[in-house]
Amino acid sequence: MKVHLKVWRQTGPDATGRLVDYTAENIAPDMSFLEMLDSVNETLIARGEDPIAFDSDCREGICGTCGVMVDGRPHGPDSCTTVCQLHMRRYNDGDTIVIEPWQALAFPLIKDLVVDRGAFDTIIQAGGYTSVNTGGAPDANAILIPKTVADEAMDAAVCIGCGACVAACKNASAALFTSAKITQLSLLPQGQAEASTRVVEMVDAMDAAGFGGCSNEGECEAVCPKGISLKHIATMNREYRKAMFANR
Amino acid sequence: MKALKALSTSVGSKYLVALTGLSLVGFLTAHLAGNLLILLGPEKFNGYGHALISNPLVIPAELGLIGLLLLHIFKALRHVLLGRTARPQAYTRKVWAGAPSRKSWGSTTMLVSGIILLVFLVSHIATLKFGADYPSAEPGVRDLYRLVVEVFHSPGIVAFYVVAMVVIGLHLRHGISSAFQSLGLMTPGWTASILAIGLWLSVILAGGFALIPVWVYLFL
Amino acid sequence: MTLDPRVPSGPLPDKWDRHRFDSKLVNPANRRKHTVIIVGTGLAGASAAASLGELGYNVLSFCIHDSPRRAHSIAAQGGINAAKNYQNDGDSIWRLFYDTIKGGDYRSREANVYRLAQTSVNIIDQCVAQGVPFAREYGGQLDNRSFGGAQVSRTFYARGQTGQQLLLGAYQSMMRQVAKGTVSMFSQREMLDVVIIDGQARGIVCRNLVTGKLERYVADAVCLATGGYGTAYYLSTNAVNSNVTAAWRAHRRGAYFANPCFTQIHPTCIPVSGDDQSKLTLMSESLRNDGRVWVPKQQHDTRHPSDIPESDRDYYLERKYPSFGNLVPRDVASRNAKAACDEGRGVGESGLAVFLDFKNAIDRLGRNTVASRYGNLFDMYRKITDEDPYTEPMRIYPAIHYTMGGLWVDYNLMSTVPGLHVLGEANFSDHGANRLGASALMQGLADGYFVIPYTLAHYIASTPVGKVTTDHQAFNDAEHAVQERITALLNVKGSKSPRALHRELGHLLWDEVGMSRTDAGLKRALARIPLLRDEFWQNVSVPGDPDNLNKNLEYAGRVADYLEFAELLARDALHRTESCGGHFREESQTPDGEALRDDENFTYAAAWEFRGVGQAHELHKEPLVFENVKPSQRSYK
Repeated sequence: MKVHLKVWRQTGPDATGRLVDYTAENIAPDMSFLEMLDSVNETLIARGEDPIAFDSDCREGICGTCGVMVDGRPHGPDSCTTVCQLHMRRYNDGDTIVIEPWQALAFPLIKDLVVDRGAFDTIIQAGGYTSVNTGGAPDANAILIPKTVADEAMDAAVCIGCGACVAACKNASAALFTSAKITQLSLLPQGQAEASTRVVEMVDAMDAAGFGGCSNEGECEAVCPKGISLKHIATMNREYRKAMFANR
Repeated sequence: MKALKALSTSVGSKYLVALTGLSLVGFLTAHLAGNLLILLGPEKFNGYGHALISNPLVIPAELGLIGLLLLHIFKALRHVLLGRTARPQAYTRKVWAGAPSRKSWGSTTMLVSGIILLVFLVSHIATLKFGADYPSAEPGVRDLYRLVVEVFHSPGIVAFYVVAMVVIGLHLRHGISSAFQSLGLMTPGWTASILAIGLWLSVILAGGFALIPVWVYLFL
Repeated sequence: MTLDPRVPSGPLPDKWDRHRFDSKLVNPANRRKHTVIIVGTGLAGASAAASLGELGYNVLSFCIHDSPRRAHSIAAQGGINAAKNYQNDGDSIWRLFYDTIKGGDYRSREANVYRLAQTSVNIIDQCVAQGVPFAREYGGQLDNRSFGGAQVSRTFYARGQTGQQLLLGAYQSMMRQVAKGTVSMFSQREMLDVVIIDGQARGIVCRNLVTGKLERYVADAVCLATGGYGTAYYLSTNAVNSNVTAAWRAHRRGAYFANPCFTQIHPTCIPVSGDDQSKLTLMSESLRNDGRVWVPKQQHDTRHPSDIPESDRDYYLERKYPSFGNLVPRDVASRNAKAACDEGRGVGESGLAVFLDFKNAIDRLGRNTVASRYGNLFDMYRKITDEDPYTEPMRIYPAIHYTMGGLWVDYNLMSTVPGLHVLGEANFSDHGANRLGASALMQGLADGYFVIPYTLAHYIASTPVGKVTTDHQAFNDAEHAVQERITALLNVKGSKSPRALHRELGHLLWDEVGMSRTDAGLKRALARIPLLRDEFWQNVSVPGDPDNLNKNLEYAGRVADYLEFAELLARDALHRTESCGGHFREESQTPDGEALRDDENFTYAAAWEFRGVGQAHELHKEPLVFENVKPSQRSYK
């Protein structure tokens, strides 16, 4: 089949971007969306033109490297699916697809569809860890963690850091990403020692990086390829409230 | 930690928006309960109005309400501006994400509805609080009832009020449940109930307030 | 030449303790004066950077991604082994050691494997302390499962995302050190050369992938943790950016490459669907715990699987290996799938797949139990193939998954270049000729958390290094060479994309150096690879500029390195005329078609020395001595 593309092309961070039309020919329904882009790039390379720059790595939805707006929705139309796991059988012959990069002040554009998500690392650096050095950890079974708690922590921990939440949010807020890590670590006994400093520092880092605040609309949850719940943002807000009154 | 600094972050700011917003919802609820007395006739209504303004606490309470409102506006505006700054380049195409998103017409129009409500509020206070001071049969008691009935016999004003109440409904439809989320009170077990309460409370408040001008216009 | 692995003396269980005591230490106050470069931020690289940063060294960490958390360790699904014996089912350090040696088909170094088993228990403790949400029992204790045919339950897991959770734990620890200033993070940098001064690895030259600028970094020692070379085969379960470049550049500078022919082919992948496919997706091996593998008895049986009666089905693993059945090791399962397809009994459109059937499991356990165990894998399968594994059998086929070979290292994880250390999948050491399931995560973290902090300290404390800066002539030369190569790539201006050439190389390797290899096939590959390489340098097309993000340029450089590396891969496979682990030579098999090792002639690690592109490598041997485990022919009958 054949699909028409309108792809955001921008040569660099300071250049002006615009949508450029391409046609992807001979697309098989079993191809993934990114394989469709690969094939477009092959034709561009054959013509000696600069291929479309887009990020991807594992192509199985776990590394969080890929991520583009497909027809105005991060990662495309399927819920709980990264764009590398979106397949062309979702489309019909002759469809037109608009492809744009994540847009956010905190995610400066590098080229075409590639943005720099280093701001997420900055947020984690502010407190997304437990302060334990290698060695000297107690036996893993020394602290019992009920299965329900471990499962809940895991629900938050599955975040892949792709940035779809920021891309979807009208405020380009990183609240879902930040809160997922805060929830994971605040649920587990290992993370509780630093719970109040962690939430304050991570929220500060999130603001400083240039992300907006949360309007509680939940577009982030709807587009999250891992289905991270909005409840974690409530948890972050609760942890923040506790920290405000904590004696430290 | 320093509470003031904490309240100036994105999370702390929303905390204040939520607290002030919920306080204003509390005021609206009381206000509606009082206003509905108009359905019981002039004595009850004017008596309530008189009791209210003769209370020595009313001035501090009004100042407090103004303070809450200003803080609400200031923090909410800051939140909106921050969000705008955070996305300097708009998408050419953007669609709503669909379930389970809570995005609604209310949530997308908070700024517009807020501005409309502010305009409404000024006009509402100018028309009624600072409107004609008719004396009532009882000495010293203002005949607010008469003023209200007069005002609400203008179809234009009734329409304006009804529209404004739809707007307030929209504002609260997102605002009430959102406040619980901002305060961290939206726990999984309560989420469905809070969302439902938010929706119904906004319908009740908007409907209740809209009922008064319509009722007055039609029946009084 | 015989290589010295520098294995400490003494009884096996005491070697590591003794070695740690004998190792020199670096004074805490002096550590910040020592700079260590770590290339790669997967499990091995991130855990090493975090641990060395905690100790106070000045660590420079590099990765090609936009964030260190993207490294491909993140995609490991099944779990991580540790000899905790929490299940009281007979596990012990010795048993894990024994299983790993045996699983590796007696081609790994005893002392390394024993140390791996020893440190495995600390890894779990460390990860739990970091907040890794491992699966738990209702009582709050850690849950374990049996994995990859192990007879004990020693695998710890976090749903189907164990690699992700372990990597995020290491990444977070590293981020903590970045905040503290002990680790400096350089993301979006690709290492393109190692700089060697006075015989010691003293720095790297890398390309800033965003600006295109070449950058120089100097250090007292260099660690490579850059993963395996599975993408040499083009289609593999590795990420599309995984590459051999860093290891190959180090190899060209003098680091020997060991056992490149030991590649692991994973039996449970989703089959290839078309020519445009960019990668293969693995489904956890745990599927074989309940799924039954079969093909039709007749050739070219095109009936729908549900129309094929039991009497016409061949559950070949259960038939041939009654005691292990569907749980035979990866190499055995893969090879048998290939054999079935070669006989014309493969299923699906391409005929290159076998069925993995859950009907019995669903009948026995109920759909809900099966869903709770494998739901995410079933969903993934459905997403990719548009078929429902609850109602029809999955189709699976083997794919390149892991590479046991890698840069040769001694017991201290140091390569043949002093100061150049190699960690994780990038080295060759611990898995021999075949890796057991859930052991890769264990090795990566053991190297980074618990081995390199000791051995690198010893190197730094005992080796005088001269004071050099990035202005040194060796840096000039290295950067110049890198620059010339980039210019050369851009100047070919041919008509074939790097992808097209990579795909050709991949097909060739898969056909001739894949699941089973013959003398004739390997020779065909060796004849064809130099031609492909010539074609690349005459006809590759790399549009765009060198001075900004140019993914095609990055890719072209990696393919160019694969075209050099592939020759070594084939040459190593050709020289090893035995069948062993992941390397099956058709000339060396038992009468009933099982792999036949040749212990007399091949009980060694083959470490190859670079002699120039297109020149024959020189072979060095590290004899493997088995003092504690007696090599025996593996049997899973």
